[in-house]
Amino acid sequence: MFRLFILIFSVISLANVGLGQEAISPDLIIRNAERSIEISSQLCKVSVKITVENVGKNPVSRYLFTVEPRVVKEVAYISAQASDPARTALRLTPVKVQSRPKDSFWALDLKDNLLPGKTVTFEVEYVVTDALTPHPTAITQKEKQLVKYVGNHYIYSPYRINKQTTTVSLGTRNVESYTKLNPVSISDTTDPMVVHYENNSPFLRVIRLERVIEVSHWGNIAVEETVDMVHVGATLSGPFSRYEFQRESHSGLSSVKSFKTILPAAASDIYYRDDIGNISTSHMRLLGDSVELDLRPRFPLFGGWKTHYVLGYNVPSYEYLYNSGDNYKLKMRVIDHIFDDMAVDELVTRVILPEGSNNIHISSPYPVKRLPDTKHSTYLDTKGRPVITITKNNLVENHIQDFELDYEFPKILMLQEPLLVVVALYILFIMVIIYVRLDFSISKDEVSESRMRVSGLLEKLLLHQDNRANTYSQLDDQLAKLKTNKDVNSFSYAIKNINQEHKTETTQISELLSKVKPEAPEIAEKISELQKLDKYLKDVYGQKQSLYVEKLVPGKIGRTSFVEAENALNKKKEDTIEKINIIMKTLH
Amino acid sequence: MRKNSSSYSGWKSLITFTVLLLAWVSGFASRLFAVIRFESIIHEFDPWFNYRATAYMVEHGFYNFLNWFDERAWYPLGRIVGGTVYPGLMITSGSIHYILHMLNIPVHIRDICVFLAPIFSGLTAISTYLLTKELWNGGAGLFAACFIAIVPGYISRSVAGSYDNEGIAIFALQITYYLWVKSVKTGSIFWSCITALSYFYMVSAWGGYVFIINLIPLHVFVLLLMGRYSCRLFTSYTTFYILGLLFSMQIPFVGFQPIRTSEHMAASGVFALLIAIGILKHLQSVLSRSEFKYFFIFASLAAAASVFLVVVILTYAGIIAPWSGRFYSLWDTGYAKIHIPIIASVSEHQPTTWFSFFFDLHILVTTFPVGLWYCIKNINDERVFVVLYALSAVYFAGVMVRLMLTLTPVVCILSGIAFSRLLEIFLKEEDNPAATDSDSDQEATPSRGLYDKAGKLRKMRHEQLKESEGLGSNVRSFVIVGTLAMLLMFAVHCTWVTSNAYSSPSIVLASYSQDGSRQILDDFREAYYWLSQNTDNNARVMSWWDYGYQIAGMANRTTLVDNNTWNNSHIALVGKAMSSTESKAYEIMKTLDVDYVLVIFGGVIGYSGDDINKFLWMVRIAEGEHPKDIRESDYFTDRGEFRVDAEGSPTLLNCLMYKLSYYRFGELQLDYRGPAGYDRTRNVVIGNKNFDLTYLEEAYTTEHWLVRIYRVKKDTDFNRPRIPLSERKMKRSSMYISKKTSKRKKGSIKGKPVVVKGKKPVKS
Repeated sequence: MFRLFILIFSVISLANVGLGQEAISPDLIIRNAERSIEISSQLCKVSVKITVENVGKNPVSRYLFTVEPRVVKEVAYISAQASDPARTALRLTPVKVQSRPKDSFWALDLKDNLLPGKTVTFEVEYVVTDALTPHPTAITQKEKQLVKYVGNHYIYSPYRINKQTTTVSLGTRNVESYTKLNPVSISDTTDPMVVHYENNSPFLRVIRLERVIEVSHWGNIAVEETVDMVHVGATLSGPFSRYEFQRESHSGLSSVKSFKTILPAAASDIYYRDDIGNISTSHMRLLGDSVELDLRPRFPLFGGWKTHYVLGYNVPSYEYLYNSGDNYKLKMRVIDHIFDDMAVDELVTRVILPEGSNNIHISSPYPVKRLPDTKHSTYLDTKGRPVITITKNNLVENHIQDFELDYEFPKILMLQEPLLVVVALYILFIMVIIYVRLDFSISKDEVSESRMRVSGLLEKLLLHQDNRANTYSQLDDQLAKLKTNKDVNSFSYAIKNINQEHKTETTQISELLSKVKPEAPEIAEKISELQKLDKYLKDVYGQKQSLYVEKLVPGKIGRTSFVEAENALNKKKEDTIEKINIIMKTLH
Repeated sequence: MRKNSSSYSGWKSLITFTVLLLAWVSGFASRLFAVIRFESIIHEFDPWFNYRATAYMVEHGFYNFLNWFDERAWYPLGRIVGGTVYPGLMITSGSIHYILHMLNIPVHIRDICVFLAPIFSGLTAISTYLLTKELWNGGAGLFAACFIAIVPGYISRSVAGSYDNEGIAIFALQITYYLWVKSVKTGSIFWSCITALSYFYMVSAWGGYVFIINLIPLHVFVLLLMGRYSCRLFTSYTTFYILGLLFSMQIPFVGFQPIRTSEHMAASGVFALLIAIGILKHLQSVLSRSEFKYFFIFASLAAAASVFLVVVILTYAGIIAPWSGRFYSLWDTGYAKIHIPIIASVSEHQPTTWFSFFFDLHILVTTFPVGLWYCIKNINDERVFVVLYALSAVYFAGVMVRLMLTLTPVVCILSGIAFSRLLEIFLKEEDNPAATDSDSDQEATPSRGLYDKAGKLRKMRHEQLKESEGLGSNVRSFVIVGTLAMLLMFAVHCTWVTSNAYSSPSIVLASYSQDGSRQILDDFREAYYWLSQNTDNNARVMSWWDYGYQIAGMANRTTLVDNNTWNNSHIALVGKAMSSTESKAYEIMKTLDVDYVLVIFGGVIGYSGDDINKFLWMVRIAEGEHPKDIRESDYFTDRGEFRVDAEGSPTLLNCLMYKLSYYRFGELQLDYRGPAGYDRTRNVVIGNKNFDLTYLEEAYTTEHWLVRIYRVKKDTDFNRPRIPLSERKMKRSSMYISKKTSKRKKGSIKGKPVVVKGKKPVKS
């Protein structure tokens, strides 16, 4: 149900004409002005379509636009565009006019100089944030929210206006009252226009928005917005009844249960939380060109109720960060969408650049205040990252525009962080090695040192013993082979090598034995016993070998007697190995 | 394998390191259920205070923390926080935070607090390993470390987010015991100094330090009785006692208690005894045998009598405080119920059931007596300690559910010993007990090619073993498989218990609908956040003490009573307000400057832990202090039932708690078929449906009605016309009385005009 409530009047109004440095050109008169005031949301959006005629002799290049002095401070955003099909944006610069010190003007550079006798049409749009006041200022839960708009019946302009039309669009049929204007009346240029009507749209105001953009050259940009929000509509008086809120549809119409925030399409890892944790009541929808978040504060916001939350997400840096060599350019929004028709009182945007960035220049689409740069230290930083901070008051949706940040970053610094990790781990391992290898005890412990020496020797010995045992298993293999193929030549060839190996190992062990002797006689005893056993074992193998080579292969022995002889030898072998193993175990 | 035997010790330490690392990782991981299911958030009640105190310390510095007077608690009394907390927990996480921030690692203090207990569980596992290694051997130690890493009895207090003293105290306990055993073993002053330092940490962390300061003297005493006096014992105990005493008195909360209360007297008695015995031993070396005999009898009798007398006299003189009430309740389980209802009202102070023994310890509860038996059979100085530890902990765990926590470590140690012995017997060929833990690994990598013979040899030895011990390989494999299956079931049980019983943050509730989708009920935080954002910064919130810490922590508002239940009469006053009628309660609330009243009401979603179910405790505690005004019997029906439906007692149906819980609930129809005002928690239709509130108004109710906040009206903003006293036809006081007496009549409010002040008249 959207009905336009229209106030139409057309009068001839004479504007003051003055002279000054930025002079108000007397040559210009406004042929026609169409103003439309849109106050169905919490904002007052005004767009004025002006047709100007040059009645003088000289071409005019600038037009001066102004609003009532009362409203000037509240104008959050103003823009102008020509009424051609391309809708060229026109430049507006704030100026002062000496003859009218109370008023603030915006000088509008016309697209082309306006020649005498010609007309030109352009549109000026501006948004006023505080134009609507709730009236009454406090309502109960059941009541609807009524607001009052106080404006001006006439366009406030330094030029003479021949004809003007004003359309006020409220978005509701419920109007309490409005000021009626006599169709033929000539009055002062400021004639208050008051509209009192129902407006249940969310009157949410962001008191402070802190937007932190952390750029990483590893491919990620983290954005975090800390929002302090308050419902600035009519405050809730009396109790809040959950029963009525849940069961009765007309209850709490002006309260805000949820709002939609639109994030860039590439946003991922989105979190929505506050001081005490995650706010579980939110939904995310992936749309084609954006991510739509349906944010529900923990509690419905009634008039005067506040909330505070943090919204964060990551975006890939390739969409916003451009570079050529060591020069980088970051293009991101100064402020992003929070909810439709939003109004932000104070914005602080911080950009955290990688450590080592320098030569930083920022250019913003509209004037902002740049605060002193600071440093921010986070993971693996040594001297801190540069932080660029800009701030601006009174922002609306139209301020969602990109800023550009140029800086230099030597690419070699990318290696700093991995190297830091490598060095830290390196130092850690070195410390462990030093701690384990070196002896830090104050008193010298002879016994344990000699023990350690012995155990070092034993370790070597065990290695040799292993090798020696290995030769036996090779011998076994060769014997088994011999048993089947009866090839004595290849056997004796193989056996030579094995024996050679065995010999060297045995001599090594004897050497070690002599070294161990002074340190630990009892261990040396065991080792010499081991040597004896090994000798015996070697003998057994020798016997076995001769049994094979001299008896079995030529066939000098019968089946049964061979098996007997072999079994006897095997038994001896097993016994010896058993003994060796027992000694080995004690040597561990 | 045989080939690698040359670096045997290297393998051993590698296996030990790996097993401990895995124990740490698995212990850490299994405590993360709550974080994964919900988020990184502080749980329950007490942790919220610890978190708040930690955050305060991080923000304001250590000395300001020690001097912190918290005017937001116990209004109007306030609380001296620095002198009434064990600061070990805050200092631990605060210093971790400090170090990390020095290294430019910007971790939020909340995350440190949330993950502190899981990280310390790894340290506990390591200290348990060390202790068991000292008591038995490394293999048993690894078992014990693995057990303690995942045993539910310990997890219950150390899941992520459960930021409580116990989380670090069990580590401190185990490391102190380890160091004590080490110092008894070596008799070195170095180790006993370290023990005292570790004891200092324990004192700073948890009130359970009393357990240490009684158990260690008991150990010494029993060793003396067993005739195991040695110089090592003398050195270690005297050093530990003196240093430990001095250290423990540095904690402001402990102060002079170690020399003034009965709980600490055993330690000094044993100290005196040890000195006396030391002297005797010295005299023994000087005097002849017969002289000494007489002297010994005389001196010991005299010494015992004099020590006893001194203690008794000092106690009577009031220099030594007698046992505290909490301590008595350890000996007599019925004591608290009669004398201190506030202790009895906490569910974790109830005696333990057999069910919870099994629930928390599973298979270990059956194996730990085996380990205990092994220790008794092969007794030595340090095993005496573990035997005493086990016996006392079993007793205490039987008295209070909460003390299950002190039993758990010793159960793990002894079960570790039992399992280790078992596998030692049945996996005999491995002389490396550490290897028993990774036996599957060993079987997976048999040494085939190189040392064929060794394999053969081993088999032969098996056969010999079989002959000697009479164990068939079938029996062996059967036992091993059985043991492994039991251990597997234990692991499964631990995970299941952790996941289902101990991983609920309790401030976020989750319900599962029939299609398996999860719905989160976040009402607590909704209400607390509403309080923090939309009430005056100095608003005072009255609620039952359970929610005090949460209100202070999450809503940052002043509370009247909280979980630090130090002032019983204040709590009783709140209980009295809750159990009186609205007008009487208003008087109390006015004297206490209450701005908001917060109640928990589970009737809409069927949450059983709400205030109506706790209500009888409020009545009992109020009755303890105000027996004239509040009588528990008034809240029961004639047949002695506590019910909120139409048959409930009129006192109950008109008390403040009832009204605040059920305000406008009588109109609410939860489903189409059911009647209006049907309470899902108690499954009844409530008895008193149509009433209005005079002195309070609903300020906020959460989405599922779980938390209801009421604003206490100021004298000026009652919804009635202000008539000057002179123009009144009825005197004010008489109006009051009539209202009080008519409280039993239902619908007494009907005749009263309620709506004025520019309100449209609404349907009643």
